[in-house]
Amino acid sequence: MTEATHTVKSYEQELEHLRSLMAQMGGLVERQTAQAVKAVVDGDEEAAIEAPELDPEVDELEREAEALAIRILALRSPMAVDLRTIVAALKVTGDLERIGDYASSIARRAMKLEMDGSTMSLVGLKNMGRLVQDNLRRAIDALTERDRDGAVAVWQADTAVDELYTAMFRELVTYMMEDPRNITACIHLLFVAKNLERIGDHTTNIAERVYYAVTGEMLPAVRPRGGRGHTST
Amino acid sequence: MIGLTNGQMANGEAVAAKPAISVKSLDFYYGDNKALRNITMDFPRRKVTGMIGPSGCGKSTLLRVLNRMYDLYPGQRATGEVLFDGRNIISQAVDVNRLRARIGMVFQKPTPFPMSIYDNIAFGVKLHEKLSRSEMDGRVEDVLRRVALWPEVKDRLKASATALSGGQQQRLCIARTIATRPEIVLLDEPTSALDPVSTARIEELLDELKKEFTIAIVTHNMQQAARCADQVAFFYLGELVEMDSTDRMFTAPKETRTQDYITGRFG
Repeated sequence: MTEATHTVKSYEQELEHLRSLMAQMGGLVERQTAQAVKAVVDGDEEAAIEAPELDPEVDELEREAEALAIRILALRSPMAVDLRTIVAALKVTGDLERIGDYASSIARRAMKLEMDGSTMSLVGLKNMGRLVQDNLRRAIDALTERDRDGAVAVWQADTAVDELYTAMFRELVTYMMEDPRNITACIHLLFVAKNLERIGDHTTNIAERVYYAVTGEMLPAVRPRGGRGHTST
Repeated sequence: MIGLTNGQMANGEAVAAKPAISVKSLDFYYGDNKALRNITMDFPRRKVTGMIGPSGCGKSTLLRVLNRMYDLYPGQRATGEVLFDGRNIISQAVDVNRLRARIGMVFQKPTPFPMSIYDNIAFGVKLHEKLSRSEMDGRVEDVLRRVALWPEVKDRLKASATALSGGQQQRLCIARTIATRPEIVLLDEPTSALDPVSTARIEELLDELKKEFTIAIVTHNMQQAARCADQVAFFYLGELVEMDSTDRMFTAPKETRTQDYITGRFG
């Protein structure tokens, strides 16, 4: 990446501020996702309460980043890497905000989930949660470090999330067929899995934006996907 | 309007694919100082080529080579090839006066002659063509209409050109340049002395003119290059660093030096 700084210092500071807003959002959203997964997998009530509480802060950061991006576009006429960074920021902050929403939704659902006495295994969900969090963390690292290769790695890794989701879907359908008393819990868990899968998709979007901002090239329109088909909603 | 460019349109796409000017391994010297280094680039027919770069990078020098403007100064010389219509125009055998009628130039500051608006245009035409009075009237009206100056000056064609506003003067200079029916129009910072409205009018005019002329424009205004040019060439210290489609140059240039310049990271 370009090491040189702008001749106009205030321009440099504005771009730096935009990057810092994205990094802050990324940190909060990572936290929300971690708490959401903890709430479901460990039945952690405090985590379930904390995740949605962070929403307003994430929304506020998104609005601030958007206002700043528009301001820079209007006043600085950014070009090349700066232009790409700003356009990417507008999209990335949107993706981060959605990820936060999905995490909150998972956390709220965790509070309704009654697993007492159930024989169902949460191992699949645990794995999926871990993988999604890992990808999200790496996407945010790629974002803050403007790491092209990191972005490609995240983009490719979403296949595994999709495959886990497909496996979860089958597993939950099996539980429901085994015992109708499982249905309520399974439906909740299915939504949780679906929301995690959506977080994975937005994480991939972030990786695509980072790649574009850094290289000026778009990743292929068709990204690697796991076996879906019959589980599409 | 068609026919103004002496039949070059009639040859259609086959001609359009061939560049209007092809520069090959061009070096240029101001005395011992090498101002252009091994420049190789094409100016596509009926396209606008924007030339950008910091002061002293060689972009205006290249423009001056394209119509042999440097001939006026001793000690300046060019080596290499500038192919125009199959001939190397930097060779001494080329008739410079005829060349400048075919490759016209517009300068940074409007340079109207101290004569009437009408005569400003007729003057150059008379040097190259014998037109009847009515033919000349037609030519003057035609070019003034093209530069959108006709409605403003039609009732005072005999008035002095120096009484016009800066923007009007510059449009008059463009009219004067295209009145001799050139194939190429070179513009050296044509709007840097103009207000935004006059600038917008000139830019709008370029959009019209490129339907018939091949245009090369030197500009310090990056946004202007972005708005007007089809392809952009970035020069630095006498070298052509990078040339690409305008879209590509301003969103994802390949060279770090280009990126640093257009994003304002130059020291």
